[in-house]
Amino acid sequence: MEQQDRIMDGDLQTLGLQSILKMLALTGKTGKLFVSSGPETLSVSLRKGQIVGLHEEGVPQPDLLDMLCLVNKLDPPRAQTVRELAQGNMYMALAMLVERGWMSAAEMQRRLEFAVTQSLSHALRWVNGRFAFHRQLVSLESRMQPLDVDSVLLEALRQADEWEGIIAEGITYLQRTTVARWQPEVRKDVRSLGLGQEAIEVLCLSNGELPLQAVALVLMMPEARVAHTIAHLLRLKLIEVVDTALETELRQDLSDILIKCQHMLAQQRQSLNPEQHLLSLIGILAKCINSLLTHHGHYARSLRGRGQLLHVEIVRYLERRFAQDLQTLARQQYPILETTTFVKGYLDCDDILTLNKVVKGEQLEEFYWEAVQGLAAFLRMVFSTLLSDEVGNSHTGRQLSVTWKVFLSEIDHEVQQYQVYRAHRNTQMARGRDSLQSSPLSFVQNWNTVPDENGDDNRSPETRRRSI
Amino acid sequence: MAQPTVLVVDDSPTVRKIVQMTLQREHIRVITASDGLSALTSVADEMPAVILLDIQLPRMDGYHICQIIRKNLQFRQIPIIMLSGKDGLFDKMRGRLAGSTEYLTKPFDSVELVQTVKKYLANWQERVPPHQEGMRRLRYRG
Repeated sequence: MEQQDRIMDGDLQTLGLQSILKMLALTGKTGKLFVSSGPETLSVSLRKGQIVGLHEEGVPQPDLLDMLCLVNKLDPPRAQTVRELAQGNMYMALAMLVERGWMSAAEMQRRLEFAVTQSLSHALRWVNGRFAFHRQLVSLESRMQPLDVDSVLLEALRQADEWEGIIAEGITYLQRTTVARWQPEVRKDVRSLGLGQEAIEVLCLSNGELPLQAVALVLMMPEARVAHTIAHLLRLKLIEVVDTALETELRQDLSDILIKCQHMLAQQRQSLNPEQHLLSLIGILAKCINSLLTHHGHYARSLRGRGQLLHVEIVRYLERRFAQDLQTLARQQYPILETTTFVKGYLDCDDILTLNKVVKGEQLEEFYWEAVQGLAAFLRMVFSTLLSDEVGNSHTGRQLSVTWKVFLSEIDHEVQQYQVYRAHRNTQMARGRDSLQSSPLSFVQNWNTVPDENGDDNRSPETRRRSI
Repeated sequence: MAQPTVLVVDDSPTVRKIVQMTLQREHIRVITASDGLSALTSVADEMPAVILLDIQLPRMDGYHICQIIRKNLQFRQIPIIMLSGKDGLFDKMRGRLAGSTEYLTKPFDSVELVQTVKKYLANWQERVPPHQEGMRRLRYRG
């Protein structure tokens, strides 16, 4: 930005945002006003003293298109088309919606005016910060009708006062970046909760992903009023405030566990025989369960906010939470699981992994097969308990659940591969031909090589040459 | 300027899904391919800003795909980050010889992944030739 273009700058403590805007409006200035406080920056574009655009920087901006989809005002494919072209510019996105006839021009104007008022209302509460006005040409970036500074300021100040009122009520824990989500145990139909329309709308948008600011923007309800509604829903224990930092950490940890487990699964595909394959699967499933248990020991809801806990307490919690499920599985479906125990918060599968010292041959394979099925079932139980406890019924929860299902499908694929082999072997035996034992080479090929539809070798000529 | 796209090529649906989820949270558009042929189709159609390429793939391995991309004048500038379960020097060298820009060893962690991708997205805008950008926009409008 050219230095000579800056015709005014200073401290917000000396001259407040309200006074600056009034002054620029009265003198009919054209240019950009930059106001910053901490990491946040607001730039207001003015043309002949009227507001023609506003941008916020420093805080993640909500995706209006996504939110319009959430409230069924826009189809996801249409939103995607506009998103590709608008590149995160809300003004451009709204203009495109109007251009394509997916939104009326009047609604666009209302939404833009509302967004400008919200941002100004937030900035009006900044005590410390700096401002600078640059005289420059303002590009015609939107189809928004120029806004009168006085009327926007009046509404923004009224909303800023509402926020002050909320703080006076003692609701200091809610900010415009606060994210709320439904409590996991709430399963009722929202209509049966006796809530007003506004509360229902806020409740429906409390998906653990949208910040308060975004909810306000999509419902066109002042942020202060949304905060008030959220506080009410919190009192009713219908929603909870999300610790976004903790949730990011938690999500990363779970993703890393999945990547590691998938890697182990890919490595074991080189197993030479079914017995080895099953044994590897048992090892992977056990490691996966134990990684999840360690993870849950860090992030379990009832262990949060209690400072540094003794390992014994975590172990006791984990055993209380999962030992019963394991016992039930062992009693009802997979007796082999009775040989596993919880030791220091981990599932100890050593007895299964060393079964080859006790039994051999077909019986060993049968035991391994039962263990794979049992551990896979227990793994599913552990993950679903963990997910519902840690992230509940939220957007993150659903995303992780989808990813988890994809990983389980890979495990299922491995299990199915063995089932196919087993069925094939049983058929052979029924025919009285023990071709598996007589021809170990064909057995290995049937077992381990999964040819693609065309039967092509999946390696490049170079790799093939090297292998040869 | 269009949003940068990252192409993830891996035969494991879990890896594809996790990488997609992780990068989308960083507001990066992600497209995926499970084998070499669909990867090359996606490269031609979408002109990704970065390619995350697994080595062991069905039909055509990662080294081969990397070589094909590097031989193409239009796509040779695209940074290719190889994903591999092997972290031996030989494999890394082989990746380099095939033309990969960077090598990530599996199992990678999500923070490392995001950092690496962002490193190559930083100068993405300078790499996109203006005529391709125009074509991209036309395609979207169509």
